Amino acid sequence: MLPRPFVRFDALQKRYGKGPLVLDSLDLSVREGEFVSLIGPSGCGKSTLLKLLAGLSPVSAGDLVIDGMKPVDAREEMFYVFQEANLLPWSRVLENVELPLRIRGDARDRRRERAREMVELVGLKEAERQFPWQLSGGMRMRVSIARALSVRPKILLLDEPFGALDEMTRDGLNEDLLEIRERDPFTAFFVTHSVAEAVFLSTRIVVLSANPGRIADVIEVPFAFPRKAELRESPEYLEVLAVATRALRDVISES
Amino acid sequence: MKANVHSVWYMPLVSGILIFLLWYGIGHYMVIDQMATDNLSRTEADNVRKIMLPYPHEIWEALLEESDALLSATRSTFTAATIGFLFSVSVGYLIAMFLASSILVKQAMYPWVLVLQMTPVVILAPIFVIWLGQGLPSITAVTFMIGFFPVVANTTMGLVSTDKQLIDLFRICNASKSQEILLLRVPYSMPYFLTGLKIAGTLAPIGAIAGDIFVGSSSSGAAGLGFMTIVFNSQLKIPALFATALVACVLGFVFVGCVNLLHWWALHNWHDSMVKKED
Repeated sequence: MLPRPFVRFDALQKRYGKGPLVLDSLDLSVREGEFVSLIGPSGCGKSTLLKLLAGLSPVSAGDLVIDGMKPVDAREEMFYVFQEANLLPWSRVLENVELPLRIRGDARDRRRERAREMVELVGLKEAERQFPWQLSGGMRMRVSIARALSVRPKILLLDEPFGALDEMTRDGLNEDLLEIRERDPFTAFFVTHSVAEAVFLSTRIVVLSANPGRIADVIEVPFAFPRKAELRESPEYLEVLAVATRALRDVISES
Repeated sequence: MKANVHSVWYMPLVSGILIFLLWYGIGHYMVIDQMATDNLSRTEADNVRKIMLPYPHEIWEALLEESDALLSATRSTFTAATIGFLFSVSVGYLIAMFLASSILVKQAMYPWVLVLQMTPVVILAPIFVIWLGQGLPSITAVTFMIGFFPVVANTTMGLVSTDKQLIDLFRICNASKSQEILLLRVPYSMPYFLTGLKIAGTLAPIGAIAGDIFVGSSSSGAAGLGFMTIVFNSQLKIPALFATALVACVLGFVFVGCVNLLHWWALHNWHDSMVKKED
């Protein structure tokens, strides 16, 4: 018997107010532990999809069930990594990382310990007393990821987290993200503009078409974990990359 | 550019000396002019000049002469300014919190805050005397009326313009309303609040002195700098009047200096306006 889907989209529709449909007839089942990337032209509603998952915006029609709950009720199990690092500028690295635990009401010592652990995990031990303005863009993103992981989320929603970074920094963070996931497994929804990034990270790539956003294609990425940087040079990787690139080009030329 | 910034420290000194020279020059010209047009002796002409434009050293002498009265007046004005300032800040902050709590509240109440601000305090002064009596309570009320609005306007602005992304972050964390206010909105609005605080700090000594003139009391040594102004003026002690102005000016600097120190302390290690970015 197939396991119960962990996250299920069922004929989901989304529109803002009385505006046009942003997302239409979305059907998708995601198993626990999957890494799902969402790619598509701008205006295809990728970021909206994450907002729906996070319960930041209500579903207009259809159903979205996360671990048997409505998105808002499932927040305890989720965390969100924003496009920008989105750190509190007046708080030091460590305080930023422990913020979700503080809000949740964890005792000071416990959350400090967990925050230290996370800061170390993302390789920023030396910077834990620094303020966000003292960090580079890549380091800030690491803090943001450490903050997200501090709550041990079952689901991580990532909205183009590495979009503003240079390619080398981005590749490095991609590898780190997978390494962290080996230790602390989570299900991921990852919005990106980079096909290469999607192929490297994902178990499945969902290609969305625009106006309104519909699922145009779902591409399975069969590579086993753990994945290393060398994967990017293998012919299998390049093959999937070509398939995904073609799928993306198809939806762009359609619209 | 940098060399210039470091070498200008003596420029105010140079301009100060020029102003002093000009001051004595004008005084000297006034004496000559009086002697010629009104046929006065040099001493008589100098006495007229002393009323019109006392020399800096005469002001200094008057300051020493009246030091007891001025010191007690400064103390009284400082007290009123401080209490009024604290009221402006705390009540102003509470009003801002209230206004920022919902768009509806802001739309309904903000015009009334404006009405309060637009009414000249001088006209309200007699009403304060009726309500609170002559003296410190009324002076404090005048100071408050003059200083609270910048705190309200700036803090409200900061509270309502909190970064949308950060608010989303707090929603994802399932933060309660009070956590969102204490951990996000209050620190986020801090630079705005401190700008309001700076303006209120500049206005507080002015408010206390103006309040003293209109609703002050001289009983039991409570006369402030405003009251001293009236006294010196009626006695034609013009150098002492100038000395009062000098003291008031110094008081203003001390007040603003303290507020600026607070401003620096609260923002220096994180806010864009304070940190040196290496680009």
